[in-house]
Amino acid sequence: MGFGSKRTVSLSSFIIWCTLAAFFVLVLLPTFYLISYVFLRWPEVNREVFANPIIGDENWNQILKVLFFTFRLSLSATLFDLLFGIPLAYVLARKKFPGKSLVEDVVTLPLVIPTSGFGFATLVTWTTASGIGGVFGSSSGAISLDTLIPFINVQALLFIVHVALTFPYVVRTVETKIQSIDPTFETASRTLGASSFTTFRKVLVPLMIPGVFSGAVLAFARSLGETGATIIVSGVSSTASIAIVRWTAEFKLATASFMGSLLVIIAAAIILPVEVYLRRGKRTLRFSSHFPVSLSRQLLRLERFTSGKLARIKDFAPLIVVVVTVIVPIIVVLNSVILFWPADPYTGKLEGGVFYQLFGPANYFNHLLQATLTSIVVALISTYISMCVAIPLAFIIERRWYGSFIRSILKVPMIIPTSSLGLSVLLMWGSSGINLLSTGIWLIILTHIVFSVPVIVESIIPAYEGSDIQTYEDSARTLGATEYNATEKVSIPLVKGGIITGFILSFTRSLGETGATFVVMGRNVTVPALVVNMVEALAIPAALFTSTFLILLALIMLGLIRVATRRR
Amino acid sequence: MPEVKLVNVSKRYGRIKANDGINLTIKDKEYVSVIGPSGCGKTTLIRNIAGIIHPDEGEIFIDEESVSNVPIEDRRIGYVFQNIALFPHMNIWDNITYGPHVRGLPQQQTRPLALEMLDMIKIAARSEAYPHELSGGTQQKTAVARALISDARLLLLDEPLGALDVKVRTELRYELRRLVKDLRLTALHVTHDQEEAMSISDRVVVMKKGRIVEAGTPVSLYTRPQHTFTANFVGEANFLKGIVVETTADTSVVDIGSGVQLRANRGKETVDERVIVVFRPEFAVLDKPIEVNRLSGKVMDVLYSGSIIRVMIKLPNDETIAAKRIASFDKPMYDVSESVTISVSPDNVLVYPYPEEGLKKALALE
Ligand SMILES: Nc1ncnc2c1ncn2[C@@H]1O[C@H](COP(=O)(O)OP(=O)(O)OP(=O)(O)O)[C@@H](O)[C@H]1O
Ligand SMILES: [Mg+2]
Repeated sequence: MGFGSKRTVSLSSFIIWCTLAAFFVLVLLPTFYLISYVFLRWPEVNREVFANPIIGDENWNQILKVLFFTFRLSLSATLFDLLFGIPLAYVLARKKFPGKSLVEDVVTLPLVIPTSGFGFATLVTWTTASGIGGVFGSSSGAISLDTLIPFINVQALLFIVHVALTFPYVVRTVETKIQSIDPTFETASRTLGASSFTTFRKVLVPLMIPGVFSGAVLAFARSLGETGATIIVSGVSSTASIAIVRWTAEFKLATASFMGSLLVIIAAAIILPVEVYLRRGKRTLRFSSHFPVSLSRQLLRLERFTSGKLARIKDFAPLIVVVVTVIVPIIVVLNSVILFWPADPYTGKLEGGVFYQLFGPANYFNHLLQATLTSIVVALISTYISMCVAIPLAFIIERRWYGSFIRSILKVPMIIPTSSLGLSVLLMWGSSGINLLSTGIWLIILTHIVFSVPVIVESIIPAYEGSDIQTYEDSARTLGATEYNATEKVSIPLVKGGIITGFILSFTRSLGETGATFVVMGRNVTVPALVVNMVEALAIPAALFTSTFLILLALIMLGLIRVATRRR
Repeated sequence: MPEVKLVNVSKRYGRIKANDGINLTIKDKEYVSVIGPSGCGKTTLIRNIAGIIHPDEGEIFIDEESVSNVPIEDRRIGYVFQNIALFPHMNIWDNITYGPHVRGLPQQQTRPLALEMLDMIKIAARSEAYPHELSGGTQQKTAVARALISDARLLLLDEPLGALDVKVRTELRYELRRLVKDLRLTALHVTHDQEEAMSISDRVVVMKKGRIVEAGTPVSLYTRPQHTFTANFVGEANFLKGIVVETTADTSVVDIGSGVQLRANRGKETVDERVIVVFRPEFAVLDKPIEVNRLSGKVMDVLYSGSIIRVMIKLPNDETIAAKRIASFDKPMYDVSESVTISVSPDNVLVYPYPEEGLKKALALE
């Protein structure tokens, strides 16, 4: 037992304190600053939101309207994800088929794709003649920007984009959960006379419920906070995260921050209880599904009847979601760049071509180079700083009694809508807070650190837990290494795979982030933000080229992730 | 009730032939065990019969009817898994009634069946408990009850006792046999515990590398194995290389080197043939050697394992053999380096043709 106390002294507590301090200042403080800002400046908020001398409580009405709309969108997208994502997760977890790893890659792609570029690709695909409309011979798009989906009253295009971007969270989380369930349970159920559908409903579903919840929470949080693609396809409607961006730009800081805090609080209120439930109740849900007997027997008969016939359809129908929402837009945007390269193919005007816009008087190519430089500098610096905090933090989480507490807090920056986060960082460091920095590259970096640290930590932890580090480290220590030495020489190399994955994920995330960046960037435009600017300036060909550029970048990143994870 | 027949069943995983041309008939109400080294394809065999996987070649018949197109849930088999696999989210009662429930049986019909089952395995009092609250033995009994309740006609057991500790294991194996016999089922029981297989089965099938080496009653496998592999895998045996020097109508004499000769009951061997001579250590007589088949040598080692003592003896031809007998104080003990003479009755000496692939390969587990 003497070991424990010695260890506490020797992993230089200096490092621990520095890490915790950096974690507090860089990651935690900004996330909570927004809320305290609202409290501290309540009179101001009140005047602007509820008792505006000119428009009364119009801003409050706006907030309510936007919030309701956002929740309708996020909830319906999440439900759709579950409906199609669970069957797909099942197929990926349980079946072997040629091309499976390709399917997995395509499903994962939206996680690494810069969202504004992807949003633009979707826009082109659905609303212009170069997309799906054109394939069917129409001279306009398949749908228009404000085509509504009945019942939920959400723009179809917004819904499609949100499904595409949140789908991977459900699929990958549920897939991992199913893989951890012993397949013998399903075999046992079949030998006892249950059809495959009945087995799915009565055995697999109850066992995988925790995974379904986690996946749904991630998808929901992502949808709530999505800005990059949303800003491009939203048209006249506005989601909460976009409203924050817009109000910040209009210097309605009080309204924006009030909306931001509401979003944070509501997200936390929905997500944290689920997290707590999942963390504590490791056991599976037990619901007593007491259907009336006759109904239950009919259900069984139906399941038995359809099991054989529909199995194939059930297996492969969900793939259509991925094809339609992810692959088609990518193909369309690549194709359009080629079509539009010399000139607008419809009018024949040179000014409508990609080439003219990039290298002509507008000289978007220069803007793109500039933005690429900014993006890469931001991604490198923010990832580097995040690594310096996240690596020791991951070790602290694994080894100290307060570790699990820190890990729970780390969930907060992960679920906060990024535009709220950007606003929070802006308020804290900017002129209305510490007044240390104004908008620009350093604020972008500070913002990106907030969400990069959790990403890296969450990549390292599985590598740590999967590699029996304690045993190796203990044996290094019996050979005379100090704890600090053992950590440096033994443990860090063992979790190298996790660190590399974390690095790439964080770098990718930073490259593609739009929502928070938009709020804090000032004049230092990053590539994803540039796409948004181009679309707003109606420089469509330039936006096409930039989106392609971003998507190719994402594909390269995905390739790197594959290499890094395979080696592990 | 049923008879199961496998005709030329093969299953391949990549380059591995997990089942390679299996022909086997399990008679109605027969209790058959399958033994063999790890990875020899026992589970694959049983999964083929259950319909969990489908053979690449060959066909399976249950009661003369091909089951190629019968899905798992309609084969009316009870399957008991090594890892027990009780549904963790259901209590014992729900686990046991799962089969009848998903088959759509009405409750008033299921209830008495389940009560009877619970009674049979003597856990009626715990029907509200969840699987993780029960001991391993009780869990496995529940799993058997669950498999049997929806009138399975064929019971497939894949190392059903493997996860349990030795004491429970020996107890449960007899209960299993009693249950199968009482319910007049046909059973196929996979195990790698040969003692378990020998003590409860009507017939034992020995497998190696996806093929059936031989099948027979426990006694015949033990006393008259058809192959050196079986002799080695089932129980323990001494293997000595030799050449047949003389045959008569009912005996053969084999020279095992250094002028030592062993007499055996005549098989198919002929004079001058290279052979392997096999006898079990427990058939060697240590104390009052009979006149024929005497072997003298030096004691190399003496090992005690409770009731048995094992003497390792080096013969003049430099081969070392083992001999066993009951440890008992009224008989002499042995010292290392001491010279001893043992004998084996010719009835207990088996002669096999020298295997083409060499002795080592023939005995190898993989
Ligand atoms: N799903 C599978 N995919 C690939 N190979 C498999 C699969 N199932 C079995 N095998 C291979 O087939 C061979 C036979 O496996 P099987 O499980 O039938 O052996 P076993 O006799 O039951 O072994 P054990 O005693 O270890 O349970 C093994 O070499 C195994 O690796
Ligand atoms: Mg097996």
